[in-house]
Amino acid sequence: MTERDPGPSGPPLKDLKARIARVREREDAAEAKRQGRANLSGSGVVLRVGIELAGTLAVGVAIGWGLDRWLGTGPWLLVVFFFLGAAAGVLNVYRAVKNLGLAAGYRRDLDPGDKD
Amino acid sequence: MASPLAQFEIKNIAEASVGGVNVSFTNSALFMVIAITAITLFLVLGVRKRATVPGRWQSMAELSYEFIAGLVRDNVGQAGRPYFPFIFTLFMFILFCNTIGLIPFSFTPTSHIIVTFAMAFAVFIGVTIVGIVKHGTKWFSYFFPPGAPIYMAPLLVPIEILSYLARPVTLSLRLFANMMAGHTMLKVFAGFVVALGLLGAAPLAILVGLFILELIVAVLQAFVFTILTCLYLHDALHLH
Repeated sequence: MTERDPGPSGPPLKDLKARIARVREREDAAEAKRQGRANLSGSGVVLRVGIELAGTLAVGVAIGWGLDRWLGTGPWLLVVFFFLGAAAGVLNVYRAVKNLGLAAGYRRDLDPGDKD
Repeated sequence: MASPLAQFEIKNIAEASVGGVNVSFTNSALFMVIAITAITLFLVLGVRKRATVPGRWQSMAELSYEFIAGLVRDNVGQAGRPYFPFIFTLFMFILFCNTIGLIPFSFTPTSHIIVTFAMAFAVFIGVTIVGIVKHGTKWFSYFFPPGAPIYMAPLLVPIEILSYLARPVTLSLRLFANMMAGHTMLKVFAGFVVALGLLGAAPLAILVGLFILELIVAVLQAFVFTILTCLYLHDALHLH
């Protein structure tokens, strides 16, 4: 412990939780900033967003088209999956841009320590 | 003059066929073998001396190891340690394929979507299996965002599944598009140099800049592929 309480006046452990939370928050912010800087190379982000959007839409359309061919349900599943693919594409872009940590999954905990 | 796309042509070096399936040894395969040989030599010869105070070469070998070890630790956590060899191999392979492909008259295996897709699909399948083995049926809750009202499920679950299925596609497309676009651009500008004669000095200067950019892209894309693999693995191990 480097932050030792100087005297008996202050309760040393009472606000420990808040202090830890404060330090962790600061570290998380610094980490997020570092990550953002590392990945914010202009054209890289643009290309990534474009590929994310178009790629996901293409997967949706391909699945819809394939299901239509397989089940013979006319153009309907293609239409449905086109919109689902577009929604998923926007979702992927949103997640990619939100933390610019290149994650395509859920909110990424920036806590370097492991929970498990 | 050769077309800018001629560099991506697959040529057979040794024809072979097993049960009607074409298994010829191609220039793509040759450069993959070269990449793997280079990695093996780089790492094995680099750490051969086992010096306590590493020399330049040993430092580079150790640096690449520690870089990926840190990446796995930061992005996957302690639970990701068993997967380190796979991720390290993936990174080194893509890095060496990308950079060796920048040497004139060589071939870039990663500029073919089938190569990058094979790697991305292997990652996708592997990560899915890891997730299912670790979490069982609970893994399927991954497709429903926590806290969302249950009546939204018919809309949200298909979107989440699509977003998940798109992972191997976007992962492979990114590496392939960067490599292919970069190499085509280099070749187009190189064509200008020849066609413009004396004035070709201008595109030549641009070419030098582009080449440096391509070198950065080659390293960066290997890194991006690796870090995304780490994040997918993190999702599979910890769900959300």
